Amino acid sequence: MRAGDRPAVAIAGVGQAGPVAADSRSIPEMVLAAVEEALADAAIGFDGVEAVVTASVDLFDGLTASNVAITEVVGAVMRPETRIAGDGLCAAIHGACELRAGACETVLAVAHGKASMAPHWALTEWAMDPVFLQPLGIDFLVCAGLQACALAQGDGGATERWAELAARRAAAGDAAIAPPRSAAEILASPVLASPLRRGMAAPLGDGACAVVLRAAAGGPGEAPVRIAGAGWDLEPHSPGERDLARWHGLERACARAGLDRTDPGLELAEPSCLFAHEEELFRAAAGIGEEAPLSPGGGLFAGTAPHVAGLSRLIACARAIRDGAARRALAHGAWGPAGQAHAVAVLEAW
Amino acid sequence: MTAGAIAAEPLGVACPMDLGWRYASGAAMERFLAGLRERRIEALRCDGCGRRYLPPRPLCGDCRLPLDRWVPVAAAGTLEAWSVYRLPILDGRTGEPRPTPYGIGLVRLDGADTTINHLLAETDPGRLRIGLRVRAVWREELRGALDDILHFEVAR
Repeated sequence: MRAGDRPAVAIAGVGQAGPVAADSRSIPEMVLAAVEEALADAAIGFDGVEAVVTASVDLFDGLTASNVAITEVVGAVMRPETRIAGDGLCAAIHGACELRAGACETVLAVAHGKASMAPHWALTEWAMDPVFLQPLGIDFLVCAGLQACALAQGDGGATERWAELAARRAAAGDAAIAPPRSAAEILASPVLASPLRRGMAAPLGDGACAVVLRAAAGGPGEAPVRIAGAGWDLEPHSPGERDLARWHGLERACARAGLDRTDPGLELAEPSCLFAHEEELFRAAAGIGEEAPLSPGGGLFAGTAPHVAGLSRLIACARAIRDGAARRALAHGAWGPAGQAHAVAVLEAW
Repeated sequence: MTAGAIAAEPLGVACPMDLGWRYASGAAMERFLAGLRERRIEALRCDGCGRRYLPPRPLCGDCRLPLDRWVPVAAAGTLEAWSVYRLPILDGRTGEPRPTPYGIGLVRLDGADTTINHLLAETDPGRLRIGLRVRAVWREELRGALDDILHFEVAR
């Protein structure tokens, strides 16, 4: 999806609930808080929303059609709603597609996740192929360990580097969920799936994000931030069919978004990296060197919620552009085992 | 063998799942459940359309207005739809098959504008019809849960 003669897509409002380690509110209450903040930010009410795209996962919510719990609080009664069983950034991208297709002029994109409801990594085992992978006890955490192993091949300093990276990211965040730890503490933390240790994983908790997107004729004054390009891409489900040391899906998603591998105009990158080693995969696939700031607020290491991550990265980019900290930024979302699926959006100041 | 033909009985792969989730009930449902412990049933009334929601919802989907006006509801009402179920469905609370047959109904309690799902004591289809008056049968020891109302019985 690239900017052209179709309507441009402006980010008119953003809202967030959490992330926190455990939100005592129900899912609808948590989602409503994020939605109300986004609507207020866009200076509209529920009546100003024409269509809704939500992102949530049945398995993580413990009910089939996980969007049924939030129909009212996202304003989807008597409105077209689309549900994405993937990262929240994909909900925003689908909303942008609706706007560019001319289907409507205002879309609300919402994502929620509550990791405190159930043991998250154990649940992910049931998202794996049931005939060959589930019986072997393979979940997303195991896949991350295998990916980290593949990446560290012939690289003796990898784990130390990842520990330092995780410590740096966690220190930059507001420690909403887990207190920051030093690299030495991270290297001494329990092994999750070797070579990954607990401190190398972003802390998971509860949260919701909401974004109001608006079709804009163009020009400053309407909204300060626009989506200049977006794309998403899948890899095969089985880790055995992939080159685990590369995020090829992200390379293709970036190309779909019209992003050159070494985009000189990119002033900020906000990747969805649940593990420290994924940041290296992200940099290599998206062509991000050291020149553009990456996750200045700690990224997901400040705490995140499953499948909310990508939409929270879009909000981080939009806020940075509004604040004048960047004029062009890359938001990234990922889901599935070992980065099977990727979505990216390029945001620009108007 | 042609493509797609199955030479023998396919091998099955058993994948037993033992998963659990902890749900937050939400402030409105929390108050509703707490009320049951005192045999008190309350609905939330929308300031926009006046609709009285039972079970209570956090927001009126039609008016898109948050709900916070509680109104009392009676423990008796009218049967709006019913069915007698004969399949041994699993009871979500016990994990055991629920004894069959059992009656299930949509009951509009006096003072509410929406209906609630609940069990019916009557399991003879010949004795059930839409429009029947029904009343709640309470558990002796109330604990603030949906089954504080054991079921609804026909008021005769």
